[in-house]
Amino acid sequence: MKTQPIDQFAAHLSHEVHTSVRDSSVKRTAQRKDALWKDFEDPNALRRLAGQIKQHTLDHLDTYIEKAESALKANGAQVHFAADAEHAQKLILELLHKRNATRVVKTKSMATEEIHLGPFLEKNGVESFETDLGEFIVQIDNDHPSHIVTPIIHKNRKQIARSFEKFGIPLPNDDPESITKAARIFMRQKYLDADVAITGANFLSAESGKIVLVTNEGNARFCLAGGSMHIALVGIEKVVPKDRDLTVFLNLLARSATGQQLTVYTEFIGGPKGATQPDGPQEMHVIFLDNGRTEVLESDCREILRCIRCGACLNVCPVYRQASGHAYRSVYPGPLGAVLSPALAGSHFAALADLPKASSLCGACNEVCPVDIPIPDLLLRLRNRAKEERLPSPGTPPLGGWALLATRPFVWRMAMLSTQLLNLLPLHHLPLPGLKSWTDRRTLPEWRGGEFRKWMKARKGKSND
Amino acid sequence: MTDSSSDTRKAILERVRKSTSLLPEKTPYPDYPNDVARSAPHLQEENPLENFRKNFETAHGIFFDTVSKLKEYLLKENFRVGFCDPALLDIFHSALAPEIELTTTFDRSRIDVCAFGITRAAGAIAETGTIILNDETTCTRLGALAPWVHVAIISPKLIHETIGDAISALGKDPNTIWATGPSKTADVEGILIEGVHGPGVQACLFI
Amino acid sequence: MSNSGLLTAQNRPTGKRVMMMATCLCDAFFDDVAKASVEVLEYLGCEVLFPEGQTCCGQPAFNSGDWDSSRKVVRHTERVFSGAEPVIVPSGSCAAMLFHGAPLEFEKCSDAKKVDALANRTWEIIDFIVNGLGVKEWPGTLNERVVFHESCHSRGTKSGEAIRTLLGSIAGLKVSPIGESEQCCGFGGTFSVSFPNISTAMGDLKIEHVLEANPDWLVSGDMSCMMHLRGLAEKEGRQLRVRHVIQILRDALASAHLLP
Repeated sequence: MKTQPIDQFAAHLSHEVHTSVRDSSVKRTAQRKDALWKDFEDPNALRRLAGQIKQHTLDHLDTYIEKAESALKANGAQVHFAADAEHAQKLILELLHKRNATRVVKTKSMATEEIHLGPFLEKNGVESFETDLGEFIVQIDNDHPSHIVTPIIHKNRKQIARSFEKFGIPLPNDDPESITKAARIFMRQKYLDADVAITGANFLSAESGKIVLVTNEGNARFCLAGGSMHIALVGIEKVVPKDRDLTVFLNLLARSATGQQLTVYTEFIGGPKGATQPDGPQEMHVIFLDNGRTEVLESDCREILRCIRCGACLNVCPVYRQASGHAYRSVYPGPLGAVLSPALAGSHFAALADLPKASSLCGACNEVCPVDIPIPDLLLRLRNRAKEERLPSPGTPPLGGWALLATRPFVWRMAMLSTQLLNLLPLHHLPLPGLKSWTDRRTLPEWRGGEFRKWMKARKGKSND
Repeated sequence: MTDSSSDTRKAILERVRKSTSLLPEKTPYPDYPNDVARSAPHLQEENPLENFRKNFETAHGIFFDTVSKLKEYLLKENFRVGFCDPALLDIFHSALAPEIELTTTFDRSRIDVCAFGITRAAGAIAETGTIILNDETTCTRLGALAPWVHVAIISPKLIHETIGDAISALGKDPNTIWATGPSKTADVEGILIEGVHGPGVQACLFI
Repeated sequence: MSNSGLLTAQNRPTGKRVMMMATCLCDAFFDDVAKASVEVLEYLGCEVLFPEGQTCCGQPAFNSGDWDSSRKVVRHTERVFSGAEPVIVPSGSCAAMLFHGAPLEFEKCSDAKKVDALANRTWEIIDFIVNGLGVKEWPGTLNERVVFHESCHSRGTKSGEAIRTLLGSIAGLKVSPIGESEQCCGFGGTFSVSFPNISTAMGDLKIEHVLEANPDWLVSGDMSCMMHLRGLAEKEGRQLRVRHVIQILRDALASAHLLP
């Protein structure tokens, strides 16, 4: 019997990648738990609060986008709106052309990943560098990030050192320290030479128009000290109502992502640089990105737009741990990606409709989610959508016959009683077409269909005597 | 805004308005206290400065009690040339001379000449050991960022207790940066390395 | 730890006249679990009603996305269990289907209220014993060592804590901790057959951790997890003895001669 694509990917995953993904995930999960439970009396109350703030924002998103827009303008930023990836690319290129900009530095941003900005700029003659170390390594390798926080979790130092040498950055050895130092030296000149810095946004306060960026490496700081124009590509769901809400989110984000109390650098950007400040952008543009988000908002998976991209659900997910991020064939991997990627896909839903199946529905993702997204429920809704759209689902046994049986108690009881009928029976969670796939790897317990009912009947008879 | 952008603006807002208007009920904005995320275990010392110091050192910051301790450190590490905010020159020139040379202009073309940068900070956060920088107090963004060592000069009056307090005090500055320890990465095999793009050493001195 | 994913209703009915949903797994394989459930409930003074028309909770189709089929089964179940008595289920998973899954798939249906009403009467059996009947200690002596696997469908519910409370109170019984105890066993319903590689890798990991503790029994509130783990271990030539928590409680009663 055919199995699901993600299962096949996992089966062929190299031992090296599997180990690295697993070790990192286990470690991060433990760090997250430690940080939250040591520091707060009831982290779950905080997660629920954060979820409510985000859901409130989404339920009033039109108002908050407009508020954010006014606040950004008052701060001296120019505001644009992009319908989809292509539109966002075009707007960015126009801004670059207006400034005759040919050199760009970028911070890590899932929104720019979503619109495939790097390759697009390259194709259009703009030199663009990812400045986050992991993303830079992905870039010079023509690879894709496999995790939203630790993008090169699938690579080891040997592979990275080879990529550096191939790219033309010499290394004395493959120590992580040497790799980091070489990147530091290489990137400094790029920051200073850059015309434009392109960033995403972790949050955008509708109240003050402040964009919040968090990094550990300091690359966002450098991008915004070197370049003379700042373009921020911001998903419309990144808005939060008030500055004070950032307290809740910043406290949860760092702990959930890396077990840190606070990310090393938290930057609040409220417009172009101050008049007396020699360094930094004189011009700031904010592009609000839709790219499928309004459609998600209309759907019954709207809660996924609460996501703050911490990666905790990836780290804790037993399926991600076995399959790695690349198994999900999209920008967003793991449980969050299994919902968000197909939900954002619009008319391409069918191509990603298998992603929501890649879950035992264990619920660990919901349990760690800093904004309390009911991920298993959303996975189930997408499974139902796939079924209603009659999309194929390799390896999933059809259950119509089972439903027929389970709504006819007499037939059901007869079936339970006759061991001979075993092969016609829909075992709980284990309908017939899956039987071989089950027995290939596991034994079945002894068939004792109807025994309990007999016992119960006899007992009743006895007590009635 | 270009035509395409303003049309899109309209389309996005209309679509969002329509979908939110169809919701059977809308989630209210929660009522919550300002100290909802206050982390008591990080605030166990006697006063704000001691709390800050403890958390700052946990985040691998170097806390100098006095200017002479700073000088001792710079000499030990052989950091002989540094950038200094002109407003602070009076204090540091005489204290660090003659072994250590200070410059008050930060040259973009020679950013690696300075081993350290001394700039003013806008405040600190006790709960997290965080230093607050902004455009108003940082005379040059690069001077506080590019050198291997950054020494933040802070007034003890400007210590906020919690992240929430510091957020309330953000004000209008176009660029506020919270720095909690040195720049770092764990991208390669999860191994922690300090000093990626920003300072490899984050130090502070309260004056 | 609690979450808002699987919340049982407030103010569920309690009392000593109860309906039991045996679950289809007990109907087909684990008759002794269902028997133990009846014996334990009766020991506690309950009158146990067993509606003969019951089949399955509807979860297999629900999980695989076939909500049309699942809703048919849930409607059938709702009819079979009509009444006001608490509905007691010796499975965290089937209980969660009734109190969480079914309301989810009926959100847009006109008969959602009926399904919600059933949801608000549903108890996982140990949750019922501890939080419904107020039993916090268990008599008897069992000189055995067990590992407790907290099944995923009790995340966020009070079942896990309830099970720990009762197991911990049995004289002589030692409950050994294991590594990565919060990890799923890898079953996941149809997931186990459409993702066989990942499912068995997850199961193997769990088995390793369990065997390391060398328990007499692996116990759980869900026979589906137990069926998967035992079946996987046996296929690999390893022995894993599994038992439902309710069987342990019944054994403890027997040890103290408290059963008729």
